[in-house]
Amino acid sequence: MADAIVMQNVVKRFGKTTALDGTDLNVLIGEVHGFLGPNGAGKSTAIRVLLGLLRHDSGEVRVLDGDPWNDTVTLHRRLAYVPGDVQLWPNLTGGEIIDVLGRLRGGFDAARKSELCERFALDPHKKSRTYSKGNRQKVALISALVSNVELFLFDEPTSGLDPLMEAEFQEVVRELTAKGRTVLLSSHILAQVESLADRISIIRDGKTVEAGSLDDLRHMSRTSITVPTEQPLDRLATLPGVHGLTSHNGHSQFDVDRISLDSVIRELSTFGVLSLEAKPPTLEQLLLRHYSDQISAETRQVVLGDS
Amino acid sequence: MTTRAQTRDHKLIGLATVVRLALRRDRLSLTSWVIGFGLFTLYVVVAIPAAYGDEADMRATADLFAVPMSRVLIGPAYGFENPSFEQFVTNGYGLYFLLLAALMSILTMIRHTRAEEQTERAELLRSNAVGRHATLTAALIMTGVANVLSTAAVVAVLLFVGEYSIEGSLLFGAGIAATGLSFAGIAAVTAQLSEFSRGASGLAGIVLGAAFVIRAGGDLAAVGGSTLSWFSPLAWAQQTAPFVLNRWWPLALPLILAMVTCAMGFALSAVRDFGASHFQARLGPGHAPSRWGHPWGWAWRQQRSLTIAWAGSLIVGSLAFGGFTQALLEAELPEVFRQLFTSVDLLTGYLAYMVTFMAFFVSSFAVMAVQGLRSEESTTRLEAILALPVSRSRWFLAQLGVTTLVTAVMLLVIGWSIGVGAALVTRDWSLVLDLGWAQLSYLPAVGVVLAVAALLFGTLPRLVPATWALVALSVFLGSFGTLLDLPQFVLNLSPFTHLAEMPIEKFNAWAAMVLSGISLAGVGIGVLGLRRRDVSGG
Repeated sequence: MADAIVMQNVVKRFGKTTALDGTDLNVLIGEVHGFLGPNGAGKSTAIRVLLGLLRHDSGEVRVLDGDPWNDTVTLHRRLAYVPGDVQLWPNLTGGEIIDVLGRLRGGFDAARKSELCERFALDPHKKSRTYSKGNRQKVALISALVSNVELFLFDEPTSGLDPLMEAEFQEVVRELTAKGRTVLLSSHILAQVESLADRISIIRDGKTVEAGSLDDLRHMSRTSITVPTEQPLDRLATLPGVHGLTSHNGHSQFDVDRISLDSVIRELSTFGVLSLEAKPPTLEQLLLRHYSDQISAETRQVVLGDS
Repeated sequence: MTTRAQTRDHKLIGLATVVRLALRRDRLSLTSWVIGFGLFTLYVVVAIPAAYGDEADMRATADLFAVPMSRVLIGPAYGFENPSFEQFVTNGYGLYFLLLAALMSILTMIRHTRAEEQTERAELLRSNAVGRHATLTAALIMTGVANVLSTAAVVAVLLFVGEYSIEGSLLFGAGIAATGLSFAGIAAVTAQLSEFSRGASGLAGIVLGAAFVIRAGGDLAAVGGSTLSWFSPLAWAQQTAPFVLNRWWPLALPLILAMVTCAMGFALSAVRDFGASHFQARLGPGHAPSRWGHPWGWAWRQQRSLTIAWAGSLIVGSLAFGGFTQALLEAELPEVFRQLFTSVDLLTGYLAYMVTFMAFFVSSFAVMAVQGLRSEESTTRLEAILALPVSRSRWFLAQLGVTTLVTAVMLLVIGWSIGVGAALVTRDWSLVLDLGWAQLSYLPAVGVVLAVAALLFGTLPRLVPATWALVALSVFLGSFGTLLDLPQFVLNLSPFTHLAEMPIEKFNAWAAMVLSGISLAGVGIGVLGLRRRDVSGG
């Protein structure tokens, strides 16, 4: 049993709209798995299916070797969930809510609760209607973290947290993985995913469009090259795998597919290379490439260097 | 308000801008209120004559409106001896115009004062050149405009569609506007008291509810109301008795109340910080009692405040209605009233009627409780619970179980309260226990209402509010079914019809068992439905 989560070709429809349209997701035990995608791509729907709150129409779903729809209660003893938009009971204090959720889960560590309240700077005595968005988020985070479970499902867990708390969250996640816990992390904060995730899955319109380690994904994608040469590089634009070539005062810039890298570099050497800078694509570039028909041509140009 | 604007202009800088902004934000809701008032007037002016055919037919049923129990619902019932349509419509339905105006004023005031401050939008405004009193004044102007326009719509329909006489129409309209303004003033005070808009409108709502109960008690005592009625801001406009007495002077009272409360509102707002309140949100405990960490304990914690609010007001109401027994026995009653209470013995008949009536209220509580579950789901808070090792059926049955227990205890205590009220005036203390059991005997019918709501929650959650149709139908059939000589199969649509009318009749165990069986089946289907459907907040 090396898989914490398996989703295979999962379809979920709400009336006429198809929220999940063949989603695949594979999370290994002990890893932090980044779950990325534009708004409305189906990330939250997928997580709700994993929680057994929604019933999927077809495909296969396994969580901790169980069926989330039928083995709900057994599975929920072993996992914890933090939603992205936390709604709390307005007339209860944060501390009361953490206790109630912890006890309904079957017990929690009170010392851990005070430690986490301290670390996240949460006043548990305030009525939750007086909390800001960030503080509501902290209540949900602490409620999940006080329990001793194997799997954490985080759906944009740090939206509304300040950078200090964000850093604290990353520290907590590292502690969890050090103890062998598994984390599914849906997030829009790419720096967070880049620093925490072992592997990522990118979902768009309910379909998984990319999955693998960050290195794998980079490998499949383009490298940006900036190179000053003795002779103008115009001819290079006709080579397969070269994209967005621009030249200015003998300085040229272009992107090249990983697969064509070798042949392009060989060709490049004939122009008299003076210096060379090659950058792997950032996660942001990777993502925008997948989201790209949703963004303007201008944004594409700026971020991706596409023409 | 204009005099205020002139004398305090340094605190009112920017008022014009704030008013314009408020009008712009509210153009839709303002228009809807005005159209709503117009349509409501159109409905009573056109539909009622159409339903009755002619004034003679209407007079035949007018007696029914003037009996004490009807006066609880419509007001002092001026002009019901031999009413014309204009007297019948304005004095019979006027109370609901007043309630609407009061609600409109409370909601508009709070939206433009505390709700703004709470979301800190007002902070954006106040950081500009906007005086300290500008927002409250703007809210009052907005509410004033809303009342004047709505009233104008009402009067226009009365005059031009109903062709009612001019003085009565103007007086009726003036009464609505004056009542609306007095509640605007009350909301101007409550907006200073609570830090949250829900608390502020809740406080104003409590005042409105108390005003309704006080005048209900006062109007119940006699046609034209009693001294008690005059203590209620809802009663004053009705005391003008449009088209009957046409007296204007009672309208001085709501206007004075409006001025006093507005002055209080300004004074209170002047002595507090921005965003602060006179009732501050206090810190609470950092730990929860361990009993909340169980589905049943949690269900009780969630339903506690609703229970306290309902039980409190129903107990007060029951004591009052019970205490009314003696006055009723001494009153001269029209035949139709005796018919309503069916019984040989008027006292028992009245008490049995009250018991049924209270059971309707308790069933409303049950519907509210299930609507609470629905809002747990739509706010995604239910998701947080169901993501824990708590199964759907365990959660649902705990919630429904608590509601059932609460309604049972509520029924028993309400029955005792009617009994105590009645025993205080009749000296017959055996009524207390008898009425307790009589009231509790309605549990199976309340259970059916609860089960219908539960079934809908489990299968078609959006339709939970449709349960109100069953409650409304039951109230209608229970109040007017026999008077209207409706056929038995129609009467049978109400679960309340099937039970024995205790204490007149003996407890009917068979009916109670059948209704309980239906309730269990309904809950069962609801649980099955909930286990099969998606749970989500959107």
